[in-house]
Amino acid sequence: MNPMIRLENIQYTKKDRTILSVPSLSISQGEVLGMMGPNGAGKSTLIKILSCLQVPTEGKLFYKSEELPISRIPLEQRRKWAVVLQQTLIFDTTVFQNVAAGLKIRKVSKSQIKEKVDFWLEQFGISHLAKKNAHQLSGGEAQRVNLARALILEPEVLYLDEPFSALDYPTKVKLLKDFKAIIKQTKTTTIFVSHDISEIQFMSDRLAILMDGNIVQIGSTATVLNNPNHYSAPFIHDMSLHIE
Amino acid sequence: MKVKRIFSFSLIAMLIFMMTACSSSTDETSSKQEQPKAAEEVKDLILATTTSTQDSGLLDVLIPLFEEESHTNVKTIAVGTGQALEMGTKGEADVLLVHAPASEQELVDSGDAVNRKRVMYNDFILVGPADDPAGVKGMGVGEAFQKLFNDGAVFISRGDDSGTHKKELGIWQSLNITPGDNAGYAETGQGMGNTLQVAAEKQGYVITDRATYLAQKENVDLEILVEGDEDLLNIYHVMQVNPEKHDKVFSEGAEKFVDFMIKEETQKVIEEFGQDEYGEPLFFPYTE
Amino acid sequence: MDLLIEGLKKAIEMLISGDPEIFQITWLTLRVSLTAVLISTFIGIPAGIILGLTSFPGRRLVLIMINIGMGLPPVVAGLWITMLLWRSGPLGSFSLLYSPFAIIIAQILVSLPIIIGLTCSAFQQIDEKMLLQIKALGATRFQTVRLLIREAKIAILAAIIAGFGRVIAEVGAAMMVGGNIRGETRILTTSIVMEVSKGNFDVALALSFLLMSLAFLITFLLTNLQQRNRVR
Repeated sequence: MNPMIRLENIQYTKKDRTILSVPSLSISQGEVLGMMGPNGAGKSTLIKILSCLQVPTEGKLFYKSEELPISRIPLEQRRKWAVVLQQTLIFDTTVFQNVAAGLKIRKVSKSQIKEKVDFWLEQFGISHLAKKNAHQLSGGEAQRVNLARALILEPEVLYLDEPFSALDYPTKVKLLKDFKAIIKQTKTTTIFVSHDISEIQFMSDRLAILMDGNIVQIGSTATVLNNPNHYSAPFIHDMSLHIE
Repeated sequence: MKVKRIFSFSLIAMLIFMMTACSSSTDETSSKQEQPKAAEEVKDLILATTTSTQDSGLLDVLIPLFEEESHTNVKTIAVGTGQALEMGTKGEADVLLVHAPASEQELVDSGDAVNRKRVMYNDFILVGPADDPAGVKGMGVGEAFQKLFNDGAVFISRGDDSGTHKKELGIWQSLNITPGDNAGYAETGQGMGNTLQVAAEKQGYVITDRATYLAQKENVDLEILVEGDEDLLNIYHVMQVNPEKHDKVFSEGAEKFVDFMIKEETQKVIEEFGQDEYGEPLFFPYTE
Repeated sequence: MDLLIEGLKKAIEMLISGDPEIFQITWLTLRVSLTAVLISTFIGIPAGIILGLTSFPGRRLVLIMINIGMGLPPVVAGLWITMLLWRSGPLGSFSLLYSPFAIIIAQILVSLPIIIGLTCSAFQQIDEKMLLQIKALGATRFQTVRLLIREAKIAILAAIIAGFGRVIAEVGAAMMVGGNIRGETRILTTSIVMEVSKGNFDVALALSFLLMSLAFLITFLLTNLQQRNRVR
């Protein structure tokens, strides 16, 4: 089966330092790929390159078997994806307007926007916050807005860079459960970065370990975690100490 | 919340609307200058005069009369004498009404001013603190100046090259005195009104034209100490800026203004001006 | 103290008597100031956004000039404009000197740098990540700018309020390029100077109360606009 996304010889260098080097990476439709690695491993860079928010120094990106003109991605192409960055970047307006932001950009009709926003606020359990100014929300609520804003776009691919890191544990657990249900239901291809092994175990089908800009191991989550190779072993070992 | 927003917005929108509606009409009148005179056209005449002349209020009476009968729009620019004369030299004004005869002569000699006619005079007076510490009351002006200098009295000068200032300097010069040698001598560099106020604050002596003094008498705590001296006449002339030397000048209007200022009816208005308010005239008709 | 009361009394007197000259002067003041601020806003905000978000060779120099412009003494602006507009100047044939137009130009000259400078600093401070997130949402350049303007609304309105403050207070340039001509270019500030010079302190005070009320009203409206939907 042809992979949905394929990277070929991706390099990202900045001032003679190679930040990222990925000879190849394939992602299948509908899968949830997790990414882990120590700080500075290049995870955020990889996510940005995959979602075309950053242009690599070299390399090609294939989407549904077609090569994309990475330096000049057409807007309609970019609009097929949704990205949730590490910080919750909320606009200074109501929750409703925040969630609707992406739709307004895509010039969706007002009535359709109302329908979709109401639906997705419901999905994430924040309907009661619709009229509240988003800056007044708690961390968990804000993150739900963030996710709703992404999922409402019904993206073909969803990229998440540590979306749950700012949340306290009980909030995180509740949100993860809701989130996984939604992802599975919509069968959205998802790539997400995390520092938390339990998140990864819960969410991902596959897991990639990044270190020093290279993918040192990739495989099914269970395999990677239980049979870490020479490179990823020390990292996973450190992470494992934090599992309850 | 929403009501306040709508209110604010509509108020601002209303203001903008009214602005654009009205501004076009005023801008049109000023841009119409370039076209040749039609029957109803009103052209702009730039009159350069001094602040003291304007502050006396005489022009507020004369100008409307002139505008009515000549169908011109007079732009009265009241500045210091130096600037008014300079505007003449540069052709930036059409007609001048000033009171610095020696400097005016220079403009006539250089060919920048033509059709110069004498209009009126008032006089300068020496005013000072009511208790007159230097005791100059009743003296001739030369004698008074000498005494003020010898006593080191507080003397306020306009110091701005105006007619008044030149008159004052002329007196010092005739006595061979350098006024700056007196520590109590100060120059304001400003118009007559402001200079009077400074003198009042400092309770000093100052040369002023009678008109400005009378207009400010209530606010300014100074008394007339020396007057009537021949040396103290302040003579006003009106003159056209030479259209041959400066081609952008509105000479027809300027000529009309000169004629207006010296004709009998206007001279009568000048004579009567201020009688009601101050009980005495501020200006005296003085045509040639 | 008496003078203050005199001035207040005079102000009320003038308003009640409906002195047309007072209204004419006030109306002209409003017209000229608001026109100048509006034009400065329409030019200044886009300019400030471009300066704040983009980089180009010489940007630093442009910013320095703008910041110098913020402190440009109005009389200096008035002097330069006079020399531009008078008969012997390059624009002399348009006879623009001693007109409201000339005053508006002078006021634009002193308020534009303020609006550009403050808008630029507001946009320069926008988090890189915010720009990335907006890009990620698939916004066009135009949509991005619109979203950012909404985010920076408070700072932008502060710029406009500052610009307006500068303009309504302006007297030196207005005197020079306007000529304080009765019925044509006499505005509240120049009237106050003239009345003081004439010794009519009560009238001057009355006019100053009028001017302050005007400034208060406009600033009040603008501030409300700025603080609408305030979160904290």
